[in-house]
Amino acid sequence: MSNPVIQLPWSGLLLPILLLPACFWLALVAMRRMATSLESLTDGQLPGAESLTVSSPLHTWDPRGKIVGILSFALCTVSLNQPVLVLLALTTALLLIAVGRLPWSRPARRLLAMNGFLAMFLIVMPLTAVIRPDDTLIVFGSLDSWPVNLRGLLLALLILGKAWTVALLMEPLLATAPLSTTLEGLSHLGAPRRVGELLLLTHRYIHVFFAELTRLRNGMEARAFQPGLRVGSLRDYGNFVGMLLVRSFERTHRVYDAMRARGYRGSMPNRLALTFRPADVVKTALLLGLGLALLLADRLPGGLI
Amino acid sequence: MHRLASHEPLPSQGSSLFSLRNLCFTYPNGTPALRDINLDIFPGDRIAVVGQNGAGKSTLLRHLNGLLTPHSGTLVYKGDSLATGRLERARLEIGLLFQDPDDQLFGNSVADDVLFGPLNQGLDLAAAELRAASALSAVSLAHLRHRPPHRLSYGQRKRAALAGLLAMQPEVLLLDEPTANLDPYQEELLLQRLKEYPGTLICITHNLLFAYELCERAIVLDRGHIHHDYSLRELVSHRASLREHGLDFSFRFVEQALPEDRLPAVGSVVPTATDGPAGGGTNPALIELRDFSYRYPDGTEALHDLSLRIEPGEKVAIVGENGAGKTTLVSCLIGLRTGQGQYRLNGMPINERNRVQACRQVGLVFQDSADQLFCPSCAEEVAFGPRQLGLAPAAVNERVGRALAQVGLIGYDERVPLNLSGGERKRLALAAVLAMQPAVLILDEPTAGLDPDGEERLFDILKGLDATLILVSHDLFFVRQLTRRTLVLHDGRLVKDDSTTAFFSDSMLTSLNQLDFTYRNRCGLEIARLQHAHEHSHRHRHRHEHPHRHGDLVHSHLHEHEHEHAHTYTHTHHAHPTAPVEPDRHDHLPRADRPHDHLHPGHEQEPHEHEH
Repeated sequence: MSNPVIQLPWSGLLLPILLLPACFWLALVAMRRMATSLESLTDGQLPGAESLTVSSPLHTWDPRGKIVGILSFALCTVSLNQPVLVLLALTTALLLIAVGRLPWSRPARRLLAMNGFLAMFLIVMPLTAVIRPDDTLIVFGSLDSWPVNLRGLLLALLILGKAWTVALLMEPLLATAPLSTTLEGLSHLGAPRRVGELLLLTHRYIHVFFAELTRLRNGMEARAFQPGLRVGSLRDYGNFVGMLLVRSFERTHRVYDAMRARGYRGSMPNRLALTFRPADVVKTALLLGLGLALLLADRLPGGLI
Repeated sequence: MHRLASHEPLPSQGSSLFSLRNLCFTYPNGTPALRDINLDIFPGDRIAVVGQNGAGKSTLLRHLNGLLTPHSGTLVYKGDSLATGRLERARLEIGLLFQDPDDQLFGNSVADDVLFGPLNQGLDLAAAELRAASALSAVSLAHLRHRPPHRLSYGQRKRAALAGLLAMQPEVLLLDEPTANLDPYQEELLLQRLKEYPGTLICITHNLLFAYELCERAIVLDRGHIHHDYSLRELVSHRASLREHGLDFSFRFVEQALPEDRLPAVGSVVPTATDGPAGGGTNPALIELRDFSYRYPDGTEALHDLSLRIEPGEKVAIVGENGAGKTTLVSCLIGLRTGQGQYRLNGMPINERNRVQACRQVGLVFQDSADQLFCPSCAEEVAFGPRQLGLAPAAVNERVGRALAQVGLIGYDERVPLNLSGGERKRLALAAVLAMQPAVLILDEPTAGLDPDGEERLFDILKGLDATLILVSHDLFFVRQLTRRTLVLHDGRLVKDDSTTAFFSDSMLTSLNQLDFTYRNRCGLEIARLQHAHEHSHRHRHRHEHPHRHGDLVHSHLHEHEHEHAHTYTHTHHAHPTAPVEPDRHDHLPRADRPHDHLHPGHEQEPHEHEH
């Protein structure tokens, strides 16, 4: 093999061996925290209208401009190929969270939950990437039949950086306005209103559904339910899921009746008067311009590095 | 989509607001729900629609709002039928409060939800927001307007749902079990708001004390028919009618002491707060908590340094305001949650690893029975617990039969739990727990959502139980009658551990725990005074069927006549509810418009002559 090789001792293997279970464990912890917060109904995964009480340039940004600006920037980010530019995009996403005066805990939990999946890339890609003539390889001890491809590792890090950036961008997009405002902005941009209304109802009733699920599960546990794969347990699971479906179905009818009883005739009333001010134009143009600039720099012949 | 420019009330033609004639409705599965309903409702009426579960009350309410259309007969609103175009306008002035507020709060914030109705009425955003602000202030929720509904308490959600209707300034308010699952404090708040409502009010409720305070007219439905339509005072005064329709709550007026052999003497086993948790002696207690705390994942401390002992056979009440930690404590006792500190059950420490042992020994009947019923038949539901205990099929069947018999549900084996009435579901949930033969039985708000008949049946069952009982309830009667010891929780702390008698004599404690439910106490006393029976004699009209003679013709048919004889009759003593009780002054005026319906033992069989 004519590729440049970096020889590392056996002990260097410890890092990737520990990395994978650590990432899985952190992901599990994060997901459990998120599930608990959803079940305990104290902290929804999507922000409520309390976001109106905080003021920042992101909170006052018209939702249409915010959607266009942030989603365009996210699209530009996922199109980047140069690690330095991805790092710049990631920094921009972090800056947006800081400018929006948003708490760091929620994005941190989200990133940790993603890492369980992303860690697979970090392990698998360096070992499976096709070795090109100019690729640098890393060899641990005498394991020269299992070389780690540095290009594969960088590719995995690139994917990780892009995924982090997009995940972080969702925070300023969704946490700086009530969901109903964001979806109203989306429908003003041409998305079907019905989709927005369905999303709103889904968000509202996912909490009710989780509360019902928790109560029903508690009802089973309170009678010493023993989970398992025995026929009896499987039948109990079937009854449990069936009851949840029946109750959800009945609730759907009642909710629809309640909507009709208050004058619903096929669409939700428009409760927002959106105004696109000059400041919104500037904010949108700024983020859109930055995304395009990164993309342009990425596509320059020879790249930045 | 067509939207109204602004909502103009429908013009009124005629004196009645609603006029129903021969209205019938049958559900798609063939169940007749309403039959020959003839009813007039006038502007300003305040009507309680009562009757047993399945009598057709909710179906009637849904017709009034136009959610259901009659299969035959007519329903006229303001002089005209609710045809398609008119129906949409009518709905904007007829508010319907659903039993479960989660059905009604579909907005992502309280403000979003309250704005929904006014915006549908065609108001511009500014006017709608003014209405919403006013309605939210009226229900004391203005400070929570940006909060998502799932982050409100149940009582707050109920008031938010009411605000959504009040913001529409409806002419008619239809309420479906408005007090179901509300604690006394929230019930009182709701009552005050509804009393201030100036329009026509029609309320389905099993809570006759609430209805007595709010309404003047009572419509009693029985299997889809209107059985009575008279004043609420007349309804509550007439115990026979109440009992006939499963509405008799008079058992609450009778002090019933539990048999002494079911109750350990208070002094022998009940430690006072000053005794400390180990005050009960050296034997291991059935339940022992020592410095026990519980903190929710979001950091909220629900229980703080609790120490208590519960001995076998004790009947204990746990009281406290909403959020005091009662349900959390119960969850910990049953092993659904594990806290910090020591929890011993029958001497065995309970922790995260062996908490299933607590589930096996402590039985819990949930506040909402529907949350613990999920099997396709009653027999399977009751068998679920014993099967988890690993019992043989024969033993499981034996326990199922015994538990169903214990709660009066013999013959219900194949019935579907989902289709049972509220009272039957509660008894089924109790049977499902009793079949596990738990060492401790915990009941969380057992009377919530039950009709008086269901309450009385449950009371009779609980009175006869031998198990150690922990009762979490706001129901003064159940606490007083079923327990001898009361634990008072406040802000997650045990602030008092004393005899139930001492608890009731401490007005400060009952007030602290929002149990000084003045309007219920006042209404209860008033109704108890109204319900009395004694013998007297006066000339009165009488309707009955018996053999009689017209000249030479002897025959039998239903007829009315006047005669005079002594009889027992439950009647009012005073025309005005606030008048003082004077036993010697009786309001015995014969009613020309309504015959008496008292018993005449033997009278019907004796041929006699009279004008009719």
